Amino acid sequence: MSVLLAILWKDLVTEWRSRDRIAAMLLFSLLVVMVFHFSLPGGVTKQTQASAPGLLWIAYVFAALLGLNRSFSIELENDALAGIALSPVDRGWIFLGKTAANWAILGAAQAITACVFALVFDLALAAVALRLALVVGLGSLGLCSVGTLFAAVAVRTRFREVMLPLLLLPLLVPVLLGAVRATTGLIETGALAWAPVQLLLVTDAIYLIVSFLVFDYVLDE
Amino acid sequence: MSGPALRASGLGKRFGRSVALDGVDLELPEGASLAVLGPNGAGKSTLLRLIAGLARPTSGSLLIAGTPAHHPAARARVGFIGHASLLYASLSARENLLFAARLQRVPEAAARVAGWLEAAGLARVGELPVSHFSRGMSQRLAIARGLVHDPSLLLLDEPFAGLDPRAASRLAAQLASLRAAGRTLLLVTHDPRRAAEQCDRAIVLAAGRVAYAGRGDQAGAEALERAVLAASDAA
Repeated sequence: MSVLLAILWKDLVTEWRSRDRIAAMLLFSLLVVMVFHFSLPGGVTKQTQASAPGLLWIAYVFAALLGLNRSFSIELENDALAGIALSPVDRGWIFLGKTAANWAILGAAQAITACVFALVFDLALAAVALRLALVVGLGSLGLCSVGTLFAAVAVRTRFREVMLPLLLLPLLVPVLLGAVRATTGLIETGALAWAPVQLLLVTDAIYLIVSFLVFDYVLDE
Repeated sequence: MSGPALRASGLGKRFGRSVALDGVDLELPEGASLAVLGPNGAGKSTLLRLIAGLARPTSGSLLIAGTPAHHPAARARVGFIGHASLLYASLSARENLLFAARLQRVPEAAARVAGWLEAAGLARVGELPVSHFSRGMSQRLAIARGLVHDPSLLLLDEPFAGLDPRAASRLAAQLASLRAAGRTLLLVTHDPRRAAEQCDRAIVLAAGRVAYAGRGDQAGAEALERAVLAASDAA
């Protein structure tokens, strides 16, 4: 647990000082929102509002891909990744520390993006803010857990910026299914649909457990 | 379990088709110091990273005090000072050491870190980001980082590279005091004279195999130098 907290602390402090990851994620996700807004015909209609949850999650996934790539590329400077791998603990704790940091940084970018998104698409998200935060939190946990695992795999490959989306996107299908359906239900009815939340819970649990177990091999050179 | 500080039997490591190490046998008692020499690509750094538990052997066995090198308990015994500093440029010297101490689960980390900063002569600049440090200062901090958990086996990968003469002599003195304190040292270097100064035994690697094993002290310096030249010519 102390190793998890140490890595979380280190990642948040380094990010707070540079702010390069969150700035890139935020800028990118806001650009995606604006591009969608201007590319949809007829301005904000019932039809565009119906597709809003899918668009929101596309923006979140693009932002996450940027952040996940960066989360391990900073560990290559001065071979810092080796310094982490030398820790005398099960390396699954290192995975959990990196996942927690990615989740927190992505969460900050998502909160701001959601506010802008609500304004641009004229959605009343304030009334369902807490339930939406739960759905976004669960969806992001699945995204960050499997994303952290594959970012660690991709970071040592020659084309890591391309490799990460290729490895990750197919595995995000259940996460996106659950997250988009739960978000759609919230926006349309204001109620939390249990079935997509269950899908998110099960996917998160599987991704977290499997990633925890295999991370030891991923860090091997 | 216990045993010699380090025992490698038939140790091999491949990266795809490329053979980095091939059947290396090695035994190092507690408190001994071993220099590993050889031309570029001979497998020196790979050997060090296998011992540190950063990679798994493809064949053979590797034990640290009787425990497989890849086991967390073995990693707790090892201090690693690599080519690179393992430091974060945006963190201060104190934060870097504190992070390393927490990773190593060092009790009373803050107090230990203060002691190591003092010992490295960096207490005055402890709050400065590492990005402001010279190569010599970074190297002193990297060594403190490798020692922060009081490891019994210290692995050093060309620690003298890029240091000015003053910083190099300071590092040499520090290594001598670590040997005097009974630590086991494994030093990768290109310099046979440095090996003779710092170590009591030496091996020369060539194409992943042990081409020479003998004394690393002044008495064996000539034979060692000849072995290094022969390995370089063969490469």
